[in-house]
Order: sequence, then structure tokens, then C-alpha cells
Amino acid sequence: MSFGRAAVGLAAAALLTATAGAASLRTLHVDALSMRADRVHVAVGEVFHLAIHVRVRENVAALDELVVPDVGTMKLEGDERNVTSSPAGTDVVETLTLEPTVAGAFTFKGAYLDAIDARTRKPSRFSANPVRIVVDAPAPVSVAGVDAAWRLVLLAGLVAGGLALIGGGLVLVVALRRRAQPVVPVVAPVPPAPAPPPRTPRTDVEDALRAYRTAPGQAALTRLRGALFVAAGTNAGATLRDALAATSDGALRAALIAAERTAFGPAHERDAASAELVAATESWLSAALAGSSR
Amino acid sequence: MSRPRDVLDALHATIVGQDDVVEALVLTLIAGGHVLLEGAPGVAKTLACRALAAAAGGVFRRVQFTPDLLPSDIVGTRIFDQKTGEFATVLGPLFANVVLADEINRAPAKVQSALLEGMQERRVTIGPQTHDLPAPFVVLATMNPFDTEGTYALPLAQLDRFLAKVVVAYPSRDEERAIVDRFGAGEPPLRANVATLDDVLRWQREAHDVFVDAKIRDYAVDLTRATRTADLVAHGASPRAALALVALARARAYLEGRTFAVPDDVRDVAPAVLRHRISYDDRIAIGGGDPEDVVRRIIASVPAP
Repeated sequence: MSFGRAAVGLAAAALLTATAGAASLRTLHVDALSMRADRVHVAVGEVFHLAIHVRVRENVAALDELVVPDVGTMKLEGDERNVTSSPAGTDVVETLTLEPTVAGAFTFKGAYLDAIDARTRKPSRFSANPVRIVVDAPAPVSVAGVDAAWRLVLLAGLVAGGLALIGGGLVLVVALRRRAQPVVPVVAPVPPAPAPPPRTPRTDVEDALRAYRTAPGQAALTRLRGALFVAAGTNAGATLRDALAATSDGALRAALIAAERTAFGPAHERDAASAELVAATESWLSAALAGSSR
Repeated sequence: MSRPRDVLDALHATIVGQDDVVEALVLTLIAGGHVLLEGAPGVAKTLACRALAAAAGGVFRRVQFTPDLLPSDIVGTRIFDQKTGEFATVLGPLFANVVLADEINRAPAKVQSALLEGMQERRVTIGPQTHDLPAPFVVLATMNPFDTEGTYALPLAQLDRFLAKVVVAYPSRDEERAIVDRFGAGEPPLRANVATLDDVLRWQREAHDVFVDAKIRDYAVDLTRATRTADLVAHGASPRAALALVALARARAYLEGRTFAVPDDVRDVAPAVLRHRISYDDRIAIGGGDPEDVVRRIIASVPAP
């Protein structure tokens, strides 16, 4: 796709989005909108990728509201959009494959999307960060029949023409959007939070047991006993009888009883009770692991 | 040497169902306290007390409380002996190991006060002399919540002397059927002298040595304090309730053969300890609310350690 067609296409997309108006905006919980390039230093003719990532809490099939930045004189070699939906939300990654045609520094304005912000219930524009690319001139090549002066004039003409087209396109887009839409606050992009590893009652017991073995104090014992109660299916504030009633797992029941004895037994019985607690908990963890691997 | 379980089994051999009542009686015996049983007529309140007295051995006395009862009728009196020309002391029915005060709320406040003073002090004064009551000494009092006409409600301060108040409910259908089978041909003999008085005193000493962790004691205090800020409560329980919770938790641990108390011990005995120590808001009476619900909510509001 040439620069001209790309610019016109993007401008048309912007125009369509703008005329749709705030009334047609979707309500979205935008958690992240960011943009990055896989290379910030490229030479004319070298391909690089510009990736835009959006994360919303809603489970949506597509995010047509996303407006990618104007690529200017860059040649658009490809445009791929991947949507990953789950009950926890939707991730959209749009990757533009670009090839610079002229040398110089180039700043992509942040991609954006307009939506009703689910937090404030107001129409908002969510913008990504801008990305700056430095494009080096191509390595000098010998062109038969064309002298150096003529090549310089040609290059200057191309740069001037390109800049004029970029400027014109931007002015057109900005003018159209300002006329069609009220000014909405720009929300700073939120970097995508790294997904925490999945926690299970078993991993909590493992961690608590590790901590208890390292320093078998009252706090570690309380944590381990609490983790065992949760593993049995009860909450904090429950008693041993509640926990025993909630599980039929013999190994877990043994660990719960040992934890009770360790927590409330007299001091002279605590060492033996503690050893019993560790052994019973390990036994349950082993049994749980064997059960999950089957 | 018998165990508390033997007394429990003896009571179960006589009483059909009423597991909570039977256990509360044995726990109170171990803890050395007194019990108030409240229930409709005919739900085996008196029978349960008689069965406990028979199983635990010792001297048993029953006093039917009536409006014309006098303090001297229960603690004793001094009479003039014409032969010796001196006053002689006649000890009342309170001088027994197990005293059944039947329908305690039918006697006037003066009599109730004399009984409750003996319960608290474990001694009574007759004339110029003070007499120690025998050990063990357990008062099992009953009252009927329905026939309130001609009764004298026990004030909160006096109710506080009872370690536990047990509500004796109607039996289930199956239990009632079993009662008809068991008692249809007359009352079966009670299982007597399952334990000795020395056994009971030993249980009380050993139960006193049951370990109660600081977290358990905190739990007992938190439960007691929660009664003072709970909804629909006019006056909460006194610190005596916290002491009673710990004492009965010890007894329960001992009954189960443990050397230490656990949160379940406190939570299980809490209704029996708290229900009669709380003065309920008028809204309960006006709105027809159930005081037991208030107690349950209070207990549920305090997380166990």
C-alpha cells in the first residue's frame, strides 16, 4: 500500500468514527493502551513493526474504535489485528509492518480510541504513547547515468513533497475531528499489568508451609493453619469443626487436626505437634499432587 | 475410677435425645457450676436432673419452689430443744451434693436470694453459725417459660450465678416415639452410682488443669464484649460470662479427653453461657423476636481464632 492510499484510508476511518458521534460510543473499561516499535533506528528500505496493544475488561469480539496513527511517508507493508477474548477481558494487538521511504526522525502520534469511560461514565479519548523512529539514509549506491547533483535534487523534492502530504493529511484529520466531536479528556495509558501466576489453595499451603519451616513462629503457624482451612473450603473465623465438616479428604483432615493441636496445645506438646503438622501437611500436598497428576 | 463419659452414657440410657441438655449437665458438673434448665412441662427437665444425681452418687435433695416457701425451708433453721434447753440447728435441703430446685421462679425473691447466695458462696449462715455446703455441690434449677402467672422473674444479677442455662426443647417425632416405647410401661430405673463423689471432685481438679491458650481466652473475652454492643441488647454479659466460657471450655475439652481447649469448645458452650446473661431490648418483646437469634448472631459476629 502506498503512502497516499494509506493516508486517505486512515483519514476516512477517522471521519467515519467522528461522524458516528459520542452517542454511538461504547462503554469500555480501558485498562491499557500502549504502542511500541520493535526498532527505533532503521534505514530507508528496512522493514520494522509498530505494535499497538489495547486491553479492556469487557469481553468484546472486536475493537473497531481503535484508530491507528498516521504512518506518513512510510510504506504500509502489512496490518494484522489479533483479538484475544476471555471472561476476564479482551486484548487487541494490532501490528503494522512499515518500510520507511525517506530518512529523518519520525514521530508516530499515539493510537487512540474513543469510548464512554466505564469508570466515569463520560465520553473519553484513550491515547497511547507516541513513538519516535529515526530513519537513516540508505547506503550510497552507484546509479548509472544519474549524477550526484540530480539525485540530491530528486531526494529533496521527495522529502518536501512527503512533508507537504503529511501536513495536509494531519490538518484535514484534525479539522474534521474537532468539528465533529467535543473535546474529551485524554486518559494516560495504563501499562498492561503482568498477569499474576494462578494461585490455588494448594500453592498457598505450599508457600505457608515453606515459611513455617523457615521460621516456625506464631505468625507463620497462623498463616499455615489459615491456608489449610481455606484448602478445606472454609474461611477465616471458622473453627476446626467447620473445616472438618467441609472436607472428606483424610490427609487434609489430619493436617487440620495437627494444626489445631500446634496452635492451641500446651507448650510442652508443641514441638511434637509441630512435627506432626509438617508431616501431615507434606503428606496432604503429596497426595494432592499425585491426585492432580492422575 | 470412672470417667465423665460414664455419667454421660448413664444419662443417655435414661433420657431420650436431648443430647445438648445431657452434655450441658455433665459439663457443668465437671466445671463445678450450677445449671438452669428452661423448658415446657414434660420435656424431662426434672428426670434429667434426677438421672444426673443418681449417676454421680452422693446426697440428692429436691425442693419444689412455691410462693409460700421461706428461706429457712431451704437453708435450715434453729429450733429450741426443750430437753437440753438450747437451740439446735436443723440443716435444710441445700445441704446435699445435688440439689434440684424445681420451678425456681415460683418462689419469692427472698427465697431465691437465699438459694443463690448459697450457690455463690457455697456456705450458708444459720443463726450465729456459718456452715459449709458439701463438695461437690451442684444446683440444678428448672423453670417453665409459659406459666408466668404467679411467678417471680429472676433478676439478671441472680441469673448470672448460673454457669449455664439450657433450653430444653420438645423432642423430635422419632424421639417422642422412643419415649413412648421406653416409658410406656412405667419409668425405668435410673442408673445409680456410676461415679463416686471422689470421682467428681477429681474430674473438677483435672479439668481445672486443662490448658487454655491466650488466643482462646481472648476469644472468650471478645464474645462476652460483643454482647454489650450487639443489636437488640439492652445490657450485655458481665465479666463472669468470660470466666464461665473458659470454665466450660475446659470441661468440654476434658470430657473429650483433651489436655487443651480449642475454639470449638468456647463456641459450643457460648449459647448456654450467654443467653441468660443478656438483657434483651424491648423490641424483642414488641416485635416477637427470638432471643436465641440474637445470641446466635453475636456468636457468629466474632471470628474464632
